[in-house]
Amino acid sequence: MASKRYRKLGAATGGERVGQIINGIFLGLMVVITIYPFWHVVMYSLSDSHASMSGGIFLWPREFSLLSYQQLLSTKQLYICYRNSLLKTLIGTGVSLLLTALTAYPLSLPRFKGRGFFSLMIFFTMLFNGGMIPTYLLIRDLHMLDTFWVYVLPAAMSAYNMFILRNFFQSIPPSLEESALLDGANPFQVLFHLVLPLSGPALAALAMFYGVALWNGYMDNVLYVNDSNLQLLQNFLRQLIAAAGAKSGTVSEMADVSAASRLTEETVKMTVITVSVIPVLIVYPFLQKYYTKGVMVGSVKG
Amino acid sequence: MNNLTKPSVGAVPKPPLKSRFLSTMRRDWMLYLMFLPGLVYILVFKYAPMYGVTIAFKDFKIGMDVMNAPWVGWKHFIDLFGRTAFLRALQNNIIISFAKLVFGFPFPIILSLMINEVRSSKMKKLVQTSVILPNFVSWVVVYGLFYAILSPNAGALKEVLALFGYEGALPNLLASQSAARTMIVISHVWKGAGMGTIVYLAAITGIDQGLYEAATIDGAGRLKQMWHITLPCIRTTIIVLLIFRVGEMMYAGFDQIFVFSNDAIISKIDIIDTYVYKLGLQERKYGISTAAGLFQSFTGLILVIITNWIAKRVDPESGLI
Repeated sequence: MASKRYRKLGAATGGERVGQIINGIFLGLMVVITIYPFWHVVMYSLSDSHASMSGGIFLWPREFSLLSYQQLLSTKQLYICYRNSLLKTLIGTGVSLLLTALTAYPLSLPRFKGRGFFSLMIFFTMLFNGGMIPTYLLIRDLHMLDTFWVYVLPAAMSAYNMFILRNFFQSIPPSLEESALLDGANPFQVLFHLVLPLSGPALAALAMFYGVALWNGYMDNVLYVNDSNLQLLQNFLRQLIAAAGAKSGTVSEMADVSAASRLTEETVKMTVITVSVIPVLIVYPFLQKYYTKGVMVGSVKG
Repeated sequence: MNNLTKPSVGAVPKPPLKSRFLSTMRRDWMLYLMFLPGLVYILVFKYAPMYGVTIAFKDFKIGMDVMNAPWVGWKHFIDLFGRTAFLRALQNNIIISFAKLVFGFPFPIILSLMINEVRSSKMKKLVQTSVILPNFVSWVVVYGLFYAILSPNAGALKEVLALFGYEGALPNLLASQSAARTMIVISHVWKGAGMGTIVYLAAITGIDQGLYEAATIDGAGRLKQMWHITLPCIRTTIIVLLIFRVGEMMYAGFDQIFVFSNDAIISKIDIIDTYVYKLGLQERKYGISTAAGLFQSFTGLILVIITNWIAKRVDPESGLI
């Protein structure tokens, strides 16, 4: 509608038309720079290993082949890592949302005594932290090294997300809650039956924030977990593609895969990258939609 | 702690603290019960490690209790600042953070202004949808994508350069000392541009359209409108994000640099986090590595406070705290 108005006013001068064109070319280039690497990797992984060896630009697969996928899907470690990453993301998102909601709701109520103090206490954790070594020693003392829960609990609540949700709760009219309380509902019933059902978009946005961070994070694996049965997909991928990576079990197993099947190392790498990006691409439309909404909610200063 | 209520003015004589506390608890005990898990979480996973930083001033060894370890004063800090590897990590950290700030911070602002100028809503949507994609993948995947494009043998860059007439040999940019920091900054901008753009576009959407109409009637061109309307209207958002960014100066990107590191370039991109990781978790030198971490988070805190103070001086309505 804006464009119509400008045309009516005749505001688009010659100079501005040139500006529009340059703008369009630059943004088009941005789209290519962003999308092409993903396209390249997927097309490379679908190409025959020998046809793709010379590299270059891939618009389509060269001699279409699914050999690398066949080989990769017979690798046991990949399934283990996939399972761990999925469980981490699903359980972690659930735990994080629950904990964040339980914390944010009392802090959103003016009658909750101490809310100023508690808010400040949580806010301070955004400014200062104990650091890597004290956190590591704490987790060791809690006997959480080499357990699944180390993926879920230490980063269960983000202070930033908590404040976003608290601000959202504060925007719900208090009269709704008051009438429920008069009907004899307790705070838990109010939260779960009234407040949360009204917070759909905010919860979806937070679920995306948490989910993306959980799926993509791998430092918890590097720092706290040695057990290969608990390995995460991102760390598996890292060991595979990192150039100077030591010959770990994963790498040599994958090297065996490529040797046995005449696949080049490159094809194997591209295939693993593709496989690890697929879940993100599947939920991408939701990610984009709710991320944007989350940013809008978060930008309301409270 | 729960007695921190403000005294009510002109009310009936206050009942003693204890009974006020009891009546609050009788009324709201379920709210406190609900708040308990979050409180325990914050105390255990956030505040306990803050107590743990005392290791930086103690002679702590494996198997010891932190409480009982003997105090050694500033010994670890003096030791730390005498180490060339730490000074190198600190220097790298500052250079990389600064370059990320200079190149990474304005880019989403420029990009959002440019997207805002696009008149076709389809094109607008395409650009927005594209640039946010890298934000959703991990640093490991980003490294993999860079590898796929830059690899001297199998990458796409070779052919792209050939299109422009460059036929010479291509260095391995991911293992080249002179290109290492540039690669870190480029991948940072590439991955982060979309998220910043969403934030700024959200702020731009909120601007009153009447301002633009008035400016058009007054004869202001698009560039003038951008400079005199759009930028001033998103100023608060810019300042808040800038405070966040400056506060993160000490954190130069652990996830990213950990995966981009290799023996050939580590001297150029080793940062405080990767240094602490090596010293603390691989060499088990807990005292000195905790000192390095404490130096990092304390400096970060000071940076946030200073930037926030400056932001409030410039514009009293902005600022984080």
